[in-house]
Amino acid sequence: MLIELKDINKTYNNGQPLHVLKGINLEIERGEFVSIMGSSGSGKSTLLNILGILDNYDTGEYRLDGKLIKGLSEKQAAEYRNRMIGFIFQSYNLIGFKTALENVELPLFYQGISRKKREVMAMEYLDRLGLKDWSSHFPNEMSGGQKQRVAIARALITRPEIILADEPTGALDSRTSVEIMQLLKELNRTDNMTIIVVTHESGVANETNKIIHIKDGIIGEIEMNQGHNASPFGTGGIMK
Amino acid sequence: MRDLFKEIWSTLSNNKLRTALTGFAVSWGIFLLICLLGAGNGLMNSFMGNSEDFVKNSMQVWGGRTSKAYAGYNAGRRIRLDEKDVEITAGKEFKDHIDIVSPVSESQSARTVFGTNSISATLSGVMPDYQEINKIIIKEGRFINPLDIKDLRKTAVIGSNLAKTLVEGTRLREKDLIGKTVKAGEGAFTVAGIYQADESQMGNEIFIPFTTMKAIYSPGQDIGTLAFTFHGLESIEENEAFEKEYGGRIKSHHDADPTDESAIWIWNRYSQNLQMNKGQAILQTFLWILGLLTLVSGIVGVSNIMLISVKERTHEFGIRKAIGAAPKDILKLIIAESVTITAFFGYIGMLLGMTACEIMDKTIGQRAVDVGFTRIHILENPTVGLDVALEATLLLIIAGTLAGLAPARKASKVRPIEALRAE
Repeated sequence: MLIELKDINKTYNNGQPLHVLKGINLEIERGEFVSIMGSSGSGKSTLLNILGILDNYDTGEYRLDGKLIKGLSEKQAAEYRNRMIGFIFQSYNLIGFKTALENVELPLFYQGISRKKREVMAMEYLDRLGLKDWSSHFPNEMSGGQKQRVAIARALITRPEIILADEPTGALDSRTSVEIMQLLKELNRTDNMTIIVVTHESGVANETNKIIHIKDGIIGEIEMNQGHNASPFGTGGIMK
Repeated sequence: MRDLFKEIWSTLSNNKLRTALTGFAVSWGIFLLICLLGAGNGLMNSFMGNSEDFVKNSMQVWGGRTSKAYAGYNAGRRIRLDEKDVEITAGKEFKDHIDIVSPVSESQSARTVFGTNSISATLSGVMPDYQEINKIIIKEGRFINPLDIKDLRKTAVIGSNLAKTLVEGTRLREKDLIGKTVKAGEGAFTVAGIYQADESQMGNEIFIPFTTMKAIYSPGQDIGTLAFTFHGLESIEENEAFEKEYGGRIKSHHDADPTDESAIWIWNRYSQNLQMNKGQAILQTFLWILGLLTLVSGIVGVSNIMLISVKERTHEFGIRKAIGAAPKDILKLIIAESVTITAFFGYIGMLLGMTACEIMDKTIGQRAVDVGFTRIHILENPTVGLDVALEATLLLIIAGTLAGLAPARKASKVRPIEALRAE
C-alpha cells in the first residue's frame, strides 16, 4: 500500500473553527491513477496538501510507503517532498526568473546533485515532454500548456513515488487540457507512476481510473472508472 | 559553492532594481563613512603637524609692563629679564621641574649682505640649547655650539630661504655659503650652518651666539626672553600652580607685585597642548558618533530592503519548499545573497570613498591658510588607512548579515502551504 489514510481530521482555526476533513479513510495502491473530485470547499485541496506534506493534520494516521507522516520537522518534510512527491499546480508555480531548464533542475539542486548531471537529466526530461527547444526560455515566454509541461518535467525529475496534481488543467483551454491529461495517463501507463489528480471538473476526473468523491470533508462514493464513461458528460472528453 | 553563487547570480541579475537599491544603500554608507573618517583624520593630522615643530613641555617667559604700583614704583614700568632671572630659573629653587634653561637676546633687525645680494633679516642671540627647545633642523653645517658662546665667536646660522636669496645670481649653491662671511647689521659673521626654514617668518631669523649678540648690542645684564623645558607637571592645575609660583618669584626679583598679571608673561606650550588634546579627543568622539550613525543608516537600508525582498519572494520560497528546500537552504540563500550584495557594493563604496579622500588630499589638503606668523594646512593627508577601510566594510557586511538574519529566519520558517498562497 503506497498511501494509507486512517481517520484523518483537520480543523482550521481562523476565528471561526472550520472542520474541513472529518475522518478521511483512504488507501491508494502503487501505480493507481486516481482523481479526487469535489466542489470548492469540499476539502479536496486540503486533503491533497496533507498528502503532499505541505500541510499537517490534527488527528489520524497518514502512512506514505509505510512511513508514518506525523510531527515531522520541516527538514524531514522537505526531504520527503523532494524524494517521494512530485507536485503539479494549477498555477504552474514555476520560478519566473529561472529558465525552463533551471526550473526543472531545481529539485536535484536540493538533493546536492552536481550541476553537470542535473543539466543532462533536466534536458532529458524536457526532451521527453517535447520542450527541448524551449529549455533556455523563461516561463513568461511560454504558453500555459508549455509551462504545465515544464512543471510536469520538474515533478518527474526526482523519480518520485507519487505525482500530486492540484487542478492541473484549471488554467488551460480545453484542447491543452486534453493534452495534459493524455500526458498524465501515459505516464501512469508506461512508467507505472502513481498519480492523484484533484479536480472539480467531472470531465477531468473521467480521464482517471478511479474517482474518489469528496463532499463536506467526507469521502463519499469511490467509483471504479476503467472504461472512462463514469461522467455524465464523458462522451465529449473533457468538460469545460 | 559554485551552485550557490550561480543561484545568487540568477536571483540578483533578475531583480536588478532591488539589487541596485540595496547596493546603493551599502555603497553610500561606506562612502560617507570613509569620507568622514578621512576628513577627520586630515583635521587631526593638521593639528598634530602644526604643533610638532616644538618640544611640547617648554615654557617661554618675557617681560611686560607693570599694571600695579608696588614697592615704591609706579604702575606702567617696563620689566626686562636679566641674567639673574636665568640664574633663578636654573637654580635650586625650581630644579625639581626645570631642565634646560636657555636665554634669548632681544632681536635686532639687520640688513644682511652677501656680494651684491642683500635682504633684511633679524638677528637673535641664542644658546646652543635653543635648537632642541625649538626643534630647529639643521640642513647644512651645525648650530651654535658652546665654544661659540665661550669665545664670543662671530658665527651665524641662517635659514635656508635666506641662504637661497643670498646666493641668487651667483654660481654658488646654498651649502657653499658655509664658511663664507656674511655682513649682517653691525658685524660680519661666518656662516656655520643652514637650518630648515618653514613658511613662517622664522626663516629670516639669523642665529648668532648669545654672548656675541650681547657684546655687540646690549652690554649689561638684560636678556630678551627666557625659554626652558620642564618635567613632572601633568595636569593643567599643576601647570597653573607652577606658573603662579615661578612667575611670582621672577616678579619679586623685579620688584613687581607677585599678583600683577601683566608684569611677566609666561607661555606654556604643554598646557596649550593639553587643551588641544582635549579638543582632539572631543573631535574624535564626535567623528565616531557620526560614523556610527552613518553606518546605522546603511544597515537600516540593507535590512529594510532585505525585509521587502523576503516578503516579495515568499511565494518563490514556497515553491522551493514544495520541491524539497529545507529551511536551512532558504536561510542560506538569503544570507548568502545579502552578504554578496553588501560585500560587493561595500567594496565599491570603499574604493569610491578612498578615491574621494585622495581627491580631497590633492585639492583642499594642499591649501594652506595664512594665520600671520605661520601657514596652517586645514586638512593634512586626509586619507584613511586600508585597514580602517576594510574594517568598516567588514563591519557593514556583518551588520548587513545580522540585519538580513531576522527576515531570513522568518521566511525560512513559514509553512510551505502559507508561502504558496502568498502573492
